[in-house]
Amino acid sequence: MIRYECLELLAAKMTDQLVVTSQSGQRIEWSHLSRHEGNLLVGMMGCAIGVGTGLALALPHRKVIVLDSDGSVLLSLFNLATLGNLQPKNLVIYVFDNGVYSGSRISYPTATSGNTDLAAMAQGAGIKNAVTIRGIEDFKKTGLGALEQHQMAFVVCKVKESLLHREIPRPNTDLAENKYTFVRYLERTEGKTNSFIGRG
Amino acid sequence: MQEELANRLVRSLKGAGVNFVTYLPETRLSQIVPLIRDDAEMTLIGAANEQEAVTIAAGATLGGKQAAVYMENTGIFVSSYSLLAVGKQLGVPLLLIIGYLGGVPDQRNSFLYATLGNRTIPVLEGLGIEHMVLVDGDRLEAKIKDAARAANALRSPFALLFAGEFSE
Repeated sequence: MIRYECLELLAAKMTDQLVVTSQSGQRIEWSHLSRHEGNLLVGMMGCAIGVGTGLALALPHRKVIVLDSDGSVLLSLFNLATLGNLQPKNLVIYVFDNGVYSGSRISYPTATSGNTDLAAMAQGAGIKNAVTIRGIEDFKKTGLGALEQHQMAFVVCKVKESLLHREIPRPNTDLAENKYTFVRYLERTEGKTNSFIGRG
Repeated sequence: MQEELANRLVRSLKGAGVNFVTYLPETRLSQIVPLIRDDAEMTLIGAANEQEAVTIAAGATLGGKQAAVYMENTGIFVSSYSLLAVGKQLGVPLLLIIGYLGGVPDQRNSFLYATLGNRTIPVLEGLGIEHMVLVDGDRLEAKIKDAARAANALRSPFALLFAGEFSE
């Protein structure tokens, strides 16, 4: 199983969900697969789960999806303890765990290529619905099934490293441009003006 | 901090439109936590550290809330990455409500805090985050409204550093 085939299946399920990605491979691949205005492509590692949590809390009636990586989650493990207690029912986190820092171009192994088990850590932090998926059929069933549940999910997808994202054009949308597209989309679909946009 | 000052601080935040607060508690301003928690119009979310508090508040702001982050000034060092990666890069207004330990006006300053307090404002300046130091309740409501307006206009975090009477 590679990340891109999971994302292809996920992209086919998108309607009005909000999707937050961290850097790097999943951001490039997702932006290639989905031009949805509800995509927020956060430019750095270790921030997407926090931003997604804030969105999920602010908009409890909207499904919020976070696309993250093992390296990024390892950078922000404190999120697990907070989510273990908050457990927003509208939040689904997919962690594409390839066991390496693929973006480094030397594929240096992360802790998950050794003894570290992110789903077990999430469970230990109190996240009840934390699972590990190891094949595409399981992703179709359990991974995509998480979208239909009224329960927070932390889905660790064990994927083979793929260098496909290096062949795909990187998103050329400026971070501020992406933010405004995202916020305008929310304004339209929520029927209210975001307070911080202000007037010129 | 006297109870009346804590009440005025929370009323001032509400008056500035703040309705979502993430936090990691500290010693100087901690009386505001139960006041916010018990206010039905405000959401209070505890975080494991200040970096997380900033990212959750940023997400809530993008989702339409007017968010603040309450932290000790040592949290600025912890959260500098997310303040830049999300707050500045994405341009997300946030009010930072900061117990300013170790600064000159801190009434409980000691060798434990002074080094970090001494470098707090230079770090904020390095991050490109505007700040205001408050040492008493004079024009508190107006100052917090000013800060919220500035954060929204700049599309940036804005730091309010509380010391003096707030640290007694």
